[in-house]
Amino acid sequence: MITGSDGQSRPAGSPKKPLISIKNVGLSYGNFQALTDVSVDFYQGELVGLVGDNGAGKTTLIRIISGIIPPTSGEVYFDGERIIKFHPKKAIDLGLECIQQAIGLCDNLSVGRNYFLGREPVRRILGLPFLDKKKIREASAKVVHDFGLRDSVDVDDEIALLSGGEKQTFKIARAVTFRNRVIIMDEPTNHLSVRERTRVNELAVQLKQQGLLVIYITHDIFQIHRIADRIVILENGRKVTDVPRDAMSAEALEGIIRDGSRTSTKEPKVS
Amino acid sequence: MRAAIAHLVRRHPEGGTVTLVVLISLTFAIVTGGSWLSTGNLQSLSQLTAVLAIMAFGEAIVIATGQIDISVGSVSGIGALTFLGLAPVVGSGFGLVAALLFGVLIGGINGVFVAFLGIPSLLVTLGTLFLFQGIGYAVTSGFSFAASNVVRKQFIYNGFGGGTVAGVNTGVIWALTILVVLQLAVFEMPVGNRLLAIGGDAASSFSRGVNVTRIKFGVFVVSGVLAALSGALDAAFIGYADGSFGAGMELSAIAAAVLGGCHLAGGRISLIGTLLGAFILRGIQSFLIILGVQPQWYILVVGLIVVLAGLADRTLTRLVLKR
Ligand SMILES: Nc1ncnc2c1ncn2[C@@H]1O[C@H](COP(=O)(O)OP(=O)(O)O)[C@@H](O)[C@H]1O
Ligand SMILES: [Mg+2]
Repeated sequence: MITGSDGQSRPAGSPKKPLISIKNVGLSYGNFQALTDVSVDFYQGELVGLVGDNGAGKTTLIRIISGIIPPTSGEVYFDGERIIKFHPKKAIDLGLECIQQAIGLCDNLSVGRNYFLGREPVRRILGLPFLDKKKIREASAKVVHDFGLRDSVDVDDEIALLSGGEKQTFKIARAVTFRNRVIIMDEPTNHLSVRERTRVNELAVQLKQQGLLVIYITHDIFQIHRIADRIVILENGRKVTDVPRDAMSAEALEGIIRDGSRTSTKEPKVS
Repeated sequence: MRAAIAHLVRRHPEGGTVTLVVLISLTFAIVTGGSWLSTGNLQSLSQLTAVLAIMAFGEAIVIATGQIDISVGSVSGIGALTFLGLAPVVGSGFGLVAALLFGVLIGGINGVFVAFLGIPSLLVTLGTLFLFQGIGYAVTSGFSFAASNVVRKQFIYNGFGGGTVAGVNTGVIWALTILVVLQLAVFEMPVGNRLLAIGGDAASSFSRGVNVTRIKFGVFVVSGVLAALSGALDAAFIGYADGSFGAGMELSAIAAAVLGGCHLAGGRISLIGTLLGAFILRGIQSFLIILGVQPQWYILVVGLIVVLAGLADRTLTRLVLKR
């Protein structure tokens, strides 16, 4: 499916300068503190597993990174430059593609129009931008085909006609074909079959080998431990662990997550 | 068979409306013994349809993003009063520009409250509906504006609703022009793709980099300016406007859009359907007048139509989304 073609291969190691740097980030939804003083660096060419229980704040963290919400406190740097204005368009322009957990597709639009939403190819007629429908159709049809969606998928059909698994595959396909520097996958294997899960994991590794930064979010530590270079664990909005994969076994990491959720249920919730 | 119908409905949301137009036209023609199809009635019907359609196009664009604009009746009133009030003083050209600017302004106010401050559009535009109706009454305070003979001869006045070209009111030509422009913008340009996307799923559109705030603001400005234009065109046709001008028109505009296949939930609209919806409503109105029925019954009929169209809309949507 995905062929490394841009020859950007780089050894997986840690170059000195982080591509994305999160410094002391906090975020509150109203008076609920979803993230507290989170600092973490992400480097080019690495595959990072971002793990933690449901509600740990994983999705919230990547919503900040992908520009959907600004942090309440702290700083975010991309390639050394501090991000002041948070907007998804800015993140996309910087080369960051995110497969969001719950959003990303507009049910009322066709498959092709969803594929290009926000970056529609145009043909200019009298200086006015008209959708290049031929290109929309051909490019999205190619992606649908390359990623093995069923042949009866018509890219002119509303995307609501796809199944949950097909939509997820399509979201992954879109992010991957527009790949640039960073790919974030938020629980990408939801709705997918076992075979498709394996394929997504292989894909994550391939992207990393092509020199991209891949942030892979899951609550399945055993699955991510097999492929990640580094594991970051969030717990109740705080970073509790950040270790190279080889430093700890999956069982030990699982213990951290399990103990964390146990202590957190014992403690009285501060509201 | 069902799949074929589903496909047809999906690709041509205005299909049902077309059928309705044909049925209604035939019925009305037969019942009135042909007088519904007389040149005179068709001329007046086309003018009435045009001014309603222009307002309903703006409404459809707002509905496309999942919002609603119920201030359009008042805005058209302001447009009409500004045009007729200023034309004798500064000429029809400047009067028209001022009317359109008021449309931009009121639409802009709606847009700021909805898009930037996040207040529900129903609430905001209900406020501006009453506010500008009140202003309309206050400005005229029981009097009315009429176009003088000098104004009636002016080119702009005739070009914008006051005159005809080959027997067709110039407002009709504007309605068709606007239809073409909006049809291209909504269905053939990136801005239209994003507009529909917002109506389908605002959070997803935003995550793809769409500037949701700007587009939500923009649709209210478009709706405002079209409502003001509609009022000016109609005022020029009638040659007279008072404080009640445009009152209640928002209902007809929303009904036309819904009847034309625009989904109030957002994301799916038909502009051609909206034009046909306007035609149906005005057709019923003229039919009732020919029959000598009290005009109040029109409101009842519009209400019924909206409810029925809403039901049909839901049924069709279910059909479309089934595989
Ligand atoms: N929009 C929101 N408003 C209020 N609370 C939210 C919102 N989104 C998430 N939360 C809360 O923030 C916490 C972290 O959520 P999330 O980042 O989605 O966790 P995860 O992805 O790790 O499962 C949860 O307790 C969740 O209920
Ligand atoms: Mg999550």
